[in-house]
Amino acid sequence: MSMIRNNRRHKLVAYSLILPFVAIFALVFAYPVIEVIRLSFTDAPLIGSGDWVGLDNYKRLLSDRLFYTSLKNNGYFVLLTVVPTTVIALLIALAVNRLSGRMQALALVLFFTPYVLPVSVVTQIWAWMLDFQFGILQPVLEFFTGKPVPVFKNPFWVMPAVAVVTIWWTNGFNVLLFIAGLRNIPEELYEAAKLDGATSRQLFFRVTWPLLWPVTALVLTLQLILQLKIFDQVYLLSEGGPFNSSYVLLLMVYREAFQLNNGGYAAAISLVLFLIIVVVSVLQFQILRIGGRDK
Amino acid sequence: MSGVKLSNIKKSFGAHDVIKDVSLEIPKGEFGVFVGPSGCGKSTLLRMIAGLEDTSGGRIEIGGRDVTAVEPAKRGVAMVFQSYALYPHLSVADNMGFSLSLARAPRHEREAKVREAARILQLTDHLDKKPSALSGGQRQRVAIGRAIVREPEVFLFDEPLSNLDAELRVQMRLELSRLHKQIGATMIYVTHDQVEAMTLADDIFVLKGGHVMQAGRPLQLYDDPDNRFVAGFIGSPAMNFVEAVVTATDPQGFTAEAMGGVLTARLDGPKPAQGADIVLGVRPEHLVPVETGGLPVTVEVAEELGGNSYVHARSITGADIVFERRGSRDRLEGQSLRIGAAPEHVFAFTPQGERLR
Repeated sequence: MSMIRNNRRHKLVAYSLILPFVAIFALVFAYPVIEVIRLSFTDAPLIGSGDWVGLDNYKRLLSDRLFYTSLKNNGYFVLLTVVPTTVIALLIALAVNRLSGRMQALALVLFFTPYVLPVSVVTQIWAWMLDFQFGILQPVLEFFTGKPVPVFKNPFWVMPAVAVVTIWWTNGFNVLLFIAGLRNIPEELYEAAKLDGATSRQLFFRVTWPLLWPVTALVLTLQLILQLKIFDQVYLLSEGGPFNSSYVLLLMVYREAFQLNNGGYAAAISLVLFLIIVVVSVLQFQILRIGGRDK
Repeated sequence: MSGVKLSNIKKSFGAHDVIKDVSLEIPKGEFGVFVGPSGCGKSTLLRMIAGLEDTSGGRIEIGGRDVTAVEPAKRGVAMVFQSYALYPHLSVADNMGFSLSLARAPRHEREAKVREAARILQLTDHLDKKPSALSGGQRQRVAIGRAIVREPEVFLFDEPLSNLDAELRVQMRLELSRLHKQIGATMIYVTHDQVEAMTLADDIFVLKGGHVMQAGRPLQLYDDPDNRFVAGFIGSPAMNFVEAVVTATDPQGFTAEAMGGVLTARLDGPKPAQGADIVLGVRPEHLVPVETGGLPVTVEVAEELGGNSYVHARSITGADIVFERRGSRDRLEGQSLRIGAAPEHVFAFTPQGERLR
């Protein structure tokens, strides 16, 4: 009898401990998500309620050319950032890992500092560095192209430039993840391989790379999710231009909701983006895991 | 197959000298063991032979060839690590054949060698498993298998059994001994466990503070230690040491007073002066209860092992004395008695720890 009472009390304590979290989660995540889903089937403005329109918003989306442009740009941006930032972070981590003591700490701080900066500062720094008239990087561009380039006003240059800014900004975190992964590989594995006659190339491809694969898969997946959500950098650097060549899905959500007052339509776009992120990232993580198992 | 010869090997990390002028030789086909307390430099010495550490001075020869500056893979050595150092992402077979696959050896050759090593180590049923699916003893065998596949001139073992439980350790010790007889290669083995050293070695090198304190056959070290450190390190339970003062000398040896009793030691060489401080050492199995003479002690605990027992007693000065009893079932706890030893079993050391012979 007392056992049962004890058990019940045990559960009560447990529930009371998780209740605050569940309440906050319901209030700031679950409720808004349900509202967005509901909203996406209405013609509601940004504030206030609208009428039920069924799948009209989604039908409209399928015939919206800006949607396809944005979708394509999102994909292009993912291509430009996810794999390059992972490769760069890995290379930096391998280099930093060779340093020791204070030098290693210093190098890590240097690579991590941009990550600490707010996005507005990051974009301002790069807007200045790439400024058409007095940007200090213009001579470099001029060297390769023969003339100064207004990068954020040029349809060819704008997305790669935003990608460079993004990689510069977020790379430190990936470096940190790779450093942690590298430190987890026991030194003896390298010593054993050296005794077995491994060249430094073989050390990397036969020992480091397969053992680092779980971290690599994690970095790739985190990056994919993060880069599909691109908004701030584009908004601050090019506002989607020129000629919508840097227009992305979240920018479209922003425009529909806050500039054109189409709450329902904006909700539908954001829901589609949400589904894309879920499907793609789950798919990618599974594929990477299977790839890892073969190694 | 080749022997290993070290001449005047030195190693410093910064201002800290870890190995101070070590010279030793392990003839080909012999099983050499470096033994000593942690920090004595035994692992560093082994890693220097493997080429994983540079030497600060001296010369390393394997099979008569100077390999001091040769890279690890070209020294003809294979090493078994304490942590096994198995690749978690590779199967047992791939772990064992790793060196051959690095060298791009033909598949059939690799498979044949791996299968042969697996047969020797009874791993044939586990070849497709990952190391994580194996027990500690099996992992250890895979690590040894990886060394066998390379057909090295010299096997190096760095405390290979210290991660195993006691029972498995004894079993693996026997297997290693058997393996050595079977392969006949030169082996160098590092351990802090003197029992492993005694049971495995052809030659033991006792190290302390970067010096070889004594080298020799196991029983030679046991019966005739050069110094107090070796005398205390080899043998379990350890030798009893008693601080004493010389009271009389004669042509056969000397008599000394200690802990309210007397012990007589045999000594062929020069005798210590009367009144000199001296340290006497007696192994537990040589101490026996005596009627007169000897040391008066009070028995505190007896560890009964069945066939024999180790009796822990306290002298009147409070020192712990251990002696062995065989075949007796008498309860000794709490009793006061005198224990002594035959003069030829009493070792004499200077207060600095040097043996007097």
